[in-house]
Amino acid sequence: MNVISRGIKNALRSPLRSGAIILMLAISVGLILSMLVARSSVNAKIDEVKSTAGTNITISPAGVMGFSGGGDALTSTQLATIKSTTHIASTSATLSDQLGTSDTNLTASLEMGSFGARQQRFESASTSTTTDSSTTTDSTSTTDTTSTRPTPTPHITVTGTTNPNSVSTDGSDLTLTIGKTINGTSSDLVALIGTDLATKNNLVVGSTFTAYTKTITVSGIFKTSNKFQDSGIIMPLATVQTLTDQSGAVSSVIAKVDSSENVSATVTSLKSSLGDKADIVSEAEQAATSVSSLQSIASLALAGVIGATIAGAVIVLLAMVMIVRERRHEIGVIKAIGGTNRKVIGQFVTEALTLTVIGAVVGLALGVAVSGPMTNSLVSNSQSSSSTSTSNTTGGPGGMMRRGMSQIGTNLTQVTASLTPTVFASAIGITLIIAIIGSAVPAWFIARIRPAEVLRAE
Amino acid sequence: MLVVKNLTKTFSSTGSDVTALDNVNLTVKTGEFASIIGKSGSGKSTLLSMLGALDIPTSGSIEVDDVDIAKLSAGKQTAYRAKKIGFVFQYYNLIPNLTALENVILALEFGGMPTRKRKKRAEQLLADVGIDPDEQLRKPSRLSGGQQQRVSIARALANKPAIILADEPTGNLDSETGKKIFDLLHSLSRSENTTILAVTHDMDIAGKTDRTFKLKDGEIVA
Repeated sequence: MNVISRGIKNALRSPLRSGAIILMLAISVGLILSMLVARSSVNAKIDEVKSTAGTNITISPAGVMGFSGGGDALTSTQLATIKSTTHIASTSATLSDQLGTSDTNLTASLEMGSFGARQQRFESASTSTTTDSSTTTDSTSTTDTTSTRPTPTPHITVTGTTNPNSVSTDGSDLTLTIGKTINGTSSDLVALIGTDLATKNNLVVGSTFTAYTKTITVSGIFKTSNKFQDSGIIMPLATVQTLTDQSGAVSSVIAKVDSSENVSATVTSLKSSLGDKADIVSEAEQAATSVSSLQSIASLALAGVIGATIAGAVIVLLAMVMIVRERRHEIGVIKAIGGTNRKVIGQFVTEALTLTVIGAVVGLALGVAVSGPMTNSLVSNSQSSSSTSTSNTTGGPGGMMRRGMSQIGTNLTQVTASLTPTVFASAIGITLIIAIIGSAVPAWFIARIRPAEVLRAE
Repeated sequence: MLVVKNLTKTFSSTGSDVTALDNVNLTVKTGEFASIIGKSGSGKSTLLSMLGALDIPTSGSIEVDDVDIAKLSAGKQTAYRAKKIGFVFQYYNLIPNLTALENVILALEFGGMPTRKRKKRAEQLLADVGIDPDEQLRKPSRLSGGQQQRVSIARALANKPAIILADEPTGNLDSETGKKIFDLLHSLSRSENTTILAVTHDMDIAGKTDRTFKLKDGEIVA
């Protein structure tokens, strides 16, 4: 018989009450563990999304989305500003244009369809002969347009870029089915042709076609997972700028930041240097937006951990206060016959620890069982609404600028609840804190009980 | 040898001071069986708690074998209670979830006896006060009042105390059992040469002790 064994023995003195205390404690410990699991799993997912989001920043002229909208293209001065911004490691600039039937001898591989026809319903006979970029300037002089509307024809998209790989839809390098890639920084009259357009016009490597009254040589055929891209042409940026008479103009810049920590700072400095002339979107920012619901789960889980810890501590505290009050006389007797404060407190702390340990074992088992389903239901409930809005941003005319983001969106719901040793250890640590808080206050009560009380009792 | 000199205890309750003991002087020789009688409220319990180092007197001294226990620190008081004092209470005050044997072992633990010697000593003590080996393994609730008081006497004797303080030791027992308990205490004071100080209402019992002190309104009157 010693302090420890008396404490353990006392813990089981009233099986029904001890059982109730253990059960309540087990529930709160189970909740603590499953909340910790949810939190760490969600945080791991957030980190994963953020790290795969990349460090690209997309800069496009204000008011332009794909081929819709208006405004001026970015100038070479602005491009130089972007390039000279700190932390920007590399840039790839793009100027897009569309070829009408009069611009080229190629036949578009995209069917017009009802959507395409509607997009072009504003174009008059006179403007259909010009390139798209001059539409806005010409529109004032076309007031005398007759009511005869020509049959709309689909356009062929020309992308002038310093980096042909930036056209790729999956984030990796552009896949060439045949031929070799072009040098984006040259001004040669060469092109990469989308596989659909090549098939439609029987183009092979070495074939030539006419565009902007010049003869262009096919250098290679590329294939992406996007039908719109596969119906387009890629040429060096300088070539497109010269052919369309837009020297130095670009419609989109993708700037790569040297490290992910600097992305937001770079976005801020770009916004101040470019002002309202450009819209700036970073992948990291988009990723942050898409993980915001996950972050709210993480903070919810943290609140759960704190709440369950407080509940657990209060349960042990109240139970021990109740037990100490009930055994006040007994404590007085033990002190009267020579038991020191330390021994009596030791005995009651052991009792509290015994209850906590049993509660924790049951609770941890409970937590292991429910943490998986709980994490899944937390994540899928809150993601069902946000994942649809995430996928919406990948569509629309600006789709080509948001590639890669759709992948992140679909991965968000795939959070696996993983019970790591660290999480388990923190759950045990928190339980220990509960036991300490739960027995510290009763210990103070015990120390204040005067042994003289035993002579007056009963 | 127990020498109490000028012992005074006042309790201060709201606004007024209540004097529970007023200049008490008494001497009990080693091995003597003394009794203290008095009506309730006369200060018996207060005196007992001073003698048992459960409370600190307002003034005066209590010398046990030439040590003034009134001036001990709280920690020393606890050690003094464990080694030098044995308590026998009216309601026995055994620890309910420990067996008779474990109750005695508990006192031996507080008295500082090495673990391996405790069990044998406890069994011997219980046998001496008339508790059978099978009764020794019972919890207090499964023992009669007389048996419980015997266990508590065994517990009080455990560390060979200088004084046994008994608070109405027979007060909760029928007269026949009470007499047996009194005889046990009496014979122990003889065989162990232990000083016993018993507080009692029972004039029959008080009359059989070596000396009797009468307390009235906190003062010794006889």
